[in-house]
Amino acid sequence: MTFLLAAAPVIPNFGGSSSSFACERANRLFCSEWVSRNWSTVLWPALRQHIVLTLIAVVLGFVISTALALIAYRRGWFERPVLIVTSILYTIPSLALFELLVPIPGFGLSRTTAEVALVSYTLLILFRNTLTGLREVPPDVRDAATGMGMGPMRSLLRVELPLALPAIIAGLRIATVTVISLATVAALIDNEGLGAPILTAISNEVFKTELIAAGGMAVALALAADGLLVLLQRRLTPWARAG
Amino acid sequence: MRTFRVSLLVALAALAVAACGSSKKSTSTSTSTATSSGTSSTSKTGPGAGKPPIVLGDKNFEEEFVLGDLYQQALQAKGFTVTLKPNIGTSEITWKALTSGQIQMYPEYTGTLLSAIAGQTALPTSADQAYTQAKTYAEKHGFTLLDRTPFTDSDAIGTRVAFAKKYGLVTDADLKKLGHSLTLGGAPEFATRQEGLLGLEKVYGLNPTFKPIAIGLTYKALDSGQVEVTDVFTTDPQLTTGKYVVLTDPKKIFGFQNVAPVVKQSLVKTEGPAFAQTINSVSALLTIPALQKMNAAVALDKQSPAAVAHAFLVANHLA
Amino acid sequence: MHNFTEAFKFIGRNGQIQGGPHVPTLVHLTLGTLKIAGIGVALALVIALPIGLWLGHIHRGSFLAINLGNIWRALPSLAVLAIGVAFLGLGLGNVELALIVLAVPPVITNAYVAIDEVDRDVVDAARGMGMSGWEILRKVEVPLGIPLIFAGIRTAALFVVSTTTIAALTGYGGSLGDIINNESSYHLSGVLGAAICIAALALLIELVLALVQRALTPRGLKLAKAEDQSMALAPLAATDAV
Repeated sequence: MTFLLAAAPVIPNFGGSSSSFACERANRLFCSEWVSRNWSTVLWPALRQHIVLTLIAVVLGFVISTALALIAYRRGWFERPVLIVTSILYTIPSLALFELLVPIPGFGLSRTTAEVALVSYTLLILFRNTLTGLREVPPDVRDAATGMGMGPMRSLLRVELPLALPAIIAGLRIATVTVISLATVAALIDNEGLGAPILTAISNEVFKTELIAAGGMAVALALAADGLLVLLQRRLTPWARAG
Repeated sequence: MRTFRVSLLVALAALAVAACGSSKKSTSTSTSTATSSGTSSTSKTGPGAGKPPIVLGDKNFEEEFVLGDLYQQALQAKGFTVTLKPNIGTSEITWKALTSGQIQMYPEYTGTLLSAIAGQTALPTSADQAYTQAKTYAEKHGFTLLDRTPFTDSDAIGTRVAFAKKYGLVTDADLKKLGHSLTLGGAPEFATRQEGLLGLEKVYGLNPTFKPIAIGLTYKALDSGQVEVTDVFTTDPQLTTGKYVVLTDPKKIFGFQNVAPVVKQSLVKTEGPAFAQTINSVSALLTIPALQKMNAAVALDKQSPAAVAHAFLVANHLA
Repeated sequence: MHNFTEAFKFIGRNGQIQGGPHVPTLVHLTLGTLKIAGIGVALALVIALPIGLWLGHIHRGSFLAINLGNIWRALPSLAVLAIGVAFLGLGLGNVELALIVLAVPPVITNAYVAIDEVDRDVVDAARGMGMSGWEILRKVEVPLGIPLIFAGIRTAALFVVSTTTIAALTGYGGSLGDIINNESSYHLSGVLGAAICIAALALLIELVLALVQRALTPRGLKLAKAEDQSMALAPLAATDAV
C-alpha cells in the first residue's frame, strides 16, 4: 500500500549500444534490420489478421448483398430502399462509424465491431453491381431459357447468374480492395491488422520504416487480391473478355 | 504471363492458408505483445497455473504499452493465462472498456484516474493522498488499485529551449503574458482535462490557442513550429536530448501521477495471492530511471515494447 | 436513441461541450473541413482533368488511366497520410498532398473513359465539319462525356471529405475530424453530431455537383438520362462500372 523502499531495479542495456539502433534513431527512410527483427512478431501477424478481417467482411457482404439483389431482381420496388440505406451507410466516415458502433452492447472494441462496419461498406457496391449484372442479361436469352423448358430457378442459376458474373466479380474486386484499405482504420477499434503497426508508427514520432512496410504490405495485399479475382473471373467466364 | 499467373496463384494460396491458420488467435497477437505470446506457451507451471484467464488492457501511448507487456509477461512467467489488449485508447475509453467488462485490469495514473475518470476538481496534495483517493473511487465501482509504482509521469508543458529563453519562461504561469496568440499542442483529450487546458485556464489564467495533436507527434509539432508549447510527459526520452525545457508547475495542476494497476475486485480473489504479489513486485521496480530507459528503447530505438519488457523482467529475475 | 437527441442538442450548441471549455464551433470546423477538402479537390482537378481528357482525346494510355483507378482503391488513406507526415512533416501541405494523391486517380480514369467512349462517328462527323482537335474536345467530346466525368469528380470529392477526418489522426486538425477523433472530450453524442455534419456536408456537395453537372449537360443528353436520377444517391457506384 504505502511504498516501502524497494531494492533498486537492475536496468539492462536493452540490446546494446545506441549505435545498434542508429538507423532507427535517425528515423531513416527504411531500416531493413527493423523489418527483419519485427517481421515474425509484428508485420506477419498483422498481415494475417488483415487477410482474415477482409475475407470475413467480403464473404458476409457478398452473401447479404446477393440475397438483397436477388430479391430486388424479382421485386423491383425493393431496389430503392436498399439503395438509400446502403448509400447512407457508405457516406458515414469510417472513423465515425467505428466509434459509433463501439457502445452498442455486444460490440465493444472487438473484431465484431470492425466487421460490421466493413461489411456495411461492401453492401452498396456489391448490391448495385449484382443487380445491374442480372438486369443486363438480354431478354432474348431469358426467353430462350424459358423456351428450353427451364423454370425460373434453373434459369437464374444456369443462365442469368453466369451471365451476370463479370459484373458481380467487378463488384467483388472493388469491395475487396475497398475493405483492405478501410480495414487499416479499423485498427483504431480492435488493434489488429496492418492498421495497428501504422497507428503505432504514427504515435512513435512517425516511424518511417514501419509506416512504409505496413502501408506497402496493405497496397500489395490489395493488388494481389485484385489479381486473384481477375484470374477467378477468367476461369469462371472463359467466354468473356476479362476486364 | 503464364508464369506470372501461376506465381500469383501460389502466393495467394499461401496467404489464404496463413489467414485460416491465424483465425484462432485474436487480439492478443498485436504490435506490442510480440515476444510475450512466445512465453505464454512455455510456462504452464507456477502459482497461476489453472487459474481463470485474465484480460489485461493498456492505453494509447508507449509507456502504457511497456507497462502492459511488463505485467502480462510477469504474470505469464508465474503460470497465469493473460490476454493483452494493447492500445485501447485514452483513459476515458479504457475505463469504459474496463467497466463494460471487455478488460479486467489496466495500468492507470492515479491523478488521471481522479480527474479524468472520477471528475474530481479538488487537487490532491501528496502522492499518497492521490493514491488513496483514487483507490477509494475505484473500490466504489467494484475495482481496486494494487500498489503504486515509485515512478511518476505527469503531464507538463514543454517547449524548445530557444522559445523559453526568448520569453523568459520558467513556470506555467509565465505563459500568461503570451495571451491567446500562444499556440499550445496536446493530445485531443487535453482540451477537456482538469490536468490540461481547464486547469491551465483556471489556475494559471492562460488563454492559449489549443491545437489537438496525436500523442507521439508533439515533439515533431514543436520542431516544425506548428505549436510553440506542448503537453509532454515527464518521462519522455526526448526531454533528455537538451533541445527542450519543461516549465514548472508550482500549483500542481498536473497532479501526482504514479501508476497503479486498476483491477476488478473479484479478479484479485479468484486469482489468489500470487496474482497481486507478482504485479506488486514488478511495480516496485519501476523507478524513474527504469522507465526512462525503457521508454527510450521503445520511442527512440523503435524496439518492440514486448522485447523491452522481456529484457527488463529477465534482468530482474521476474521472467 | 438518447445519443441521437444528444447529438442534435450538440449541433444546436454549435459544437460546445456542456460544462466544458470553449472549443472551436461546429460551424468553424465544418468550414475548416470544407476548406481542406476544397483545396484538395481543386488541385486534384487541375492536375487530373487535363491529363484524363487529353488521354481520352488521343485514345492513348488506357493502361495507365484504367490501372491508376484500380491502384487508387488499394491505397489505404491512413497510410498515405502517415507517409506524407513522415516526409513533409505536420501541416496543411502534407494533408493536401495526400488528398491529391487520393483524388487524382478516379478523376483521370473517369475523364479518360468518358472521352474515349464518345461515339467515333460523332467525332468523325465533327471533323468532317472542319473542327480542329481542340474544338472537337471542347464542343463535342467533353459535353457528351459530362456524366462520367462528373461521376469521377463526385467520387473524389466525397472521398476527400471523409478522408479529412482521418487526417486529424495524423496530427492535422481544424476539421470535423477533431471531434470524431476525440470521443474522450466530446463523448459519443459529439462524435455522432460531427458524423451527421459530415454526412450533411457530403450530401450538400453531391447536390451542388449534381446541379453543376445538370447545367453543363447538353439538352439531348438530359432527356436520355432522365431515368438515371438515382445515381445521385450512389456516387461511388457510378464509377464502379469502369
